Amino acid sequence: MRTVLALAGGPLRAARASGGAGARLTPGALAVIAFAVTTAFALSVVGGLRGFEGRAADPTSDVMADLAPTYVTLAWIAVVLLIVPLVSLGAGAARLGVARRDARLSTLRLLGVTGPQTVALTALETAQQGLVGAAIGLAGYGALLPVWTRIPFMGQPFTAGEIWVGVPVLAATLVVVPLVAAVSATVSLRRVVVTPLGVARRTTPPALRWVRVLGVVGAVGAFTVVAKVQLGFEGAVVTVILLGLLGLVLGTINLLGPWTISLLARVMVRRATTPARLLAGRRLLDDPKAAWRVVAGLGLAGFVAGIVSVLPGLAAATGDGDTADRLLAQDLVTGGILTLAIAFAVAAASAGIAQAASVLDRRQEYALQHLAGVPVELFDEVRRRVVVAPLALVAGTSAAVALVVLLPLFGMALVTAPQGLLLLAGCLLGGGLLVVAATETSRPLMRAVLRETDVRPG
Amino acid sequence: MSVPLPPPPPPAAASATAPAAVVPPAAHAAARLSARGLVKTFGTTTALAGVDVDLAAGESLAVMGPSGSGKSTLLHCLAGILPPDAGTIALEGREIGRLSDRERTLLRRERYGFVFQFGQLLPELPAEENVALASMLLGTPRARALDLARQWLAALGLAGMERRRPGELSGGQAQRVAVARALITGPDVVFADEPTGALDQTTGADVMRVLTETTRAAGASLVLVTHDENVASWCSRRIEVRDGRVVGA
Ligand SMILES: Nc1ncnc2c1ncn2[C@@H]1O[C@H](COP(=O)(O)OP(=O)(O)O)[C@@H](O)[C@H]1O
Ligand SMILES: [Mg+2]
Repeated sequence: MRTVLALAGGPLRAARASGGAGARLTPGALAVIAFAVTTAFALSVVGGLRGFEGRAADPTSDVMADLAPTYVTLAWIAVVLLIVPLVSLGAGAARLGVARRDARLSTLRLLGVTGPQTVALTALETAQQGLVGAAIGLAGYGALLPVWTRIPFMGQPFTAGEIWVGVPVLAATLVVVPLVAAVSATVSLRRVVVTPLGVARRTTPPALRWVRVLGVVGAVGAFTVVAKVQLGFEGAVVTVILLGLLGLVLGTINLLGPWTISLLARVMVRRATTPARLLAGRRLLDDPKAAWRVVAGLGLAGFVAGIVSVLPGLAAATGDGDTADRLLAQDLVTGGILTLAIAFAVAAASAGIAQAASVLDRRQEYALQHLAGVPVELFDEVRRRVVVAPLALVAGTSAAVALVVLLPLFGMALVTAPQGLLLLAGCLLGGGLLVVAATETSRPLMRAVLRETDVRPG
Repeated sequence: MSVPLPPPPPPAAASATAPAAVVPPAAHAAARLSARGLVKTFGTTTALAGVDVDLAAGESLAVMGPSGSGKSTLLHCLAGILPPDAGTIALEGREIGRLSDRERTLLRRERYGFVFQFGQLLPELPAEENVALASMLLGTPRARALDLARQWLAALGLAGMERRRPGELSGGQAQRVAVARALITGPDVVFADEPTGALDQTTGADVMRVLTETTRAAGASLVLVTHDENVASWCSRRIEVRDGRVVGA
């Protein structure tokens, strides 16, 4: 009983007591933050989409009438780009709630609470976190409005009215977010309840299939072919096909990600000379999908960054075009960077909560290893390697893929405008550092877990 | 199911530290581990109220007593997991009760081995790497550590299971892997807290036999916490703890 009580309250109290800003990021608070970030950005993205749709439906100038339909398409691209990281952030927050609840599962059992009751309690608690997070997210959306209304699109910033999602949507958010959180938590927890030994009974997972590579090669190939053909054609049809293929490329990157990480992990395991490297490689190999979930946001952001990097060149190339072309080129850069920034923020939040959940999931394992003399620095190094290795791989690869995809479109513009590539490098580095910083927020939690000495199974 | 008698450990097993001399558990042999007047309190609870313990080289000591009597706390103090509030602990004559956190972690890694009730193996690592890890932590190169690990697993009756992950092993097999992990570094003392608590009677007896025999053959002493008479009977000596005091020897 003392065990679980300590696990429930102890690490959190200890984390708080140990001081520092990061120390206050308890798992519950992290989950709320994640829900809030998800809500605020999701509403902002929906608001932006509304704004462009409004301008398309009711243009106030010739230029706007000209551009607005294209912008709606582009806004949808941004939505597509941000859906994956936002959804995985929300799901991660729910999973974190479960990890924390799992730590208290045995208390509940000792108190005579049954499995279904535990699930209900957890769903309820996660829903509460979702509700608090959604409420904060609404405020965040409100706070972000003045930022969004400062950014010019089509030569004219949105008014708050244009990107206001409306009270019904806000009200719906307060219902949907807690609901999704609860459902997601229930699904995760059922596994825990069904197999109480959970992590410890894990066996060798089936290898990911190489067939996935074919999908990506196919998508990239098709995109390239259509892009080439387009040079001889004109018209919106080709654009739509291109956008569809772009989505396909993104989708396949998401399929390819875990597989690539498992390849990387294999190499890491084979070449490992130290315990930390060996453990990091094995951990990645064991669950490449989990590693991917953390970096997926950044992987997709890397893809966007690849696109953004060519845009200054594009803008320069079309500099002598008409006003509409120039505006479009500028706004592409603005929109790309905006999408990238949001993707980075979301990826960092994802990484932070994934780490906290992982520490809680493995608390017994960590504590027992530490009792047997494994130093905390080893766990720190493993955590860094588990995050940084796939991060570097994924950000680099997806940016490279984006360049390959866009090269046939813009060709020499890439070379004539190297500032685009510099922007790309800067973005990837900045985003990477942000994600690493976010994972370090689990340090106090780890140390609190290691202070546990009574770690018998529930 | 009976276990093959574990052969003596691989000669190089203790290479990471000085090989422990095999000393018969004579009554008045110089103590390898010696504690005097151990006191440990948690808030208002007095878990240890002045405990004296001596552990000879090669000796196996069963620490018995009812739940909550302070057995685990005693083991934790002796093992350098918890610093005592008062009293002294000497390992081979060196005082270890006042070491810093970091020094105690190092001590546990280098001089001690541990077998817990359950869950101390890393789930992602195959058995051989779980064992080898302990040796790699002391600086043994990976290939050499893996070699040693396989020898230890074979000696503990686990030949052919080297590549299995903990989730693919039975409870008894996992505990033997844990024994191999504890012994590969050539420890002075092995600490085991209810090591068979999650096993059935027969498997538990098997694990106890392997644990006591292999530990003795490796020249390590054993401190074993249990409330089970059958488990304690595998040890060469026993003490009884009640309300934080040793009441019988
Ligand atoms: N970390 C701790 N915090 C508070 N009380 C503790 C802690 N560890 C042990 N105790 C208390 O000390 C006493 C002895 O505990 P323990 O050594 O675990 O007993 P045993 O192993 O014999 O069951 C018990 O009353 C227990 O509640
Ligand atoms: Mg105990």
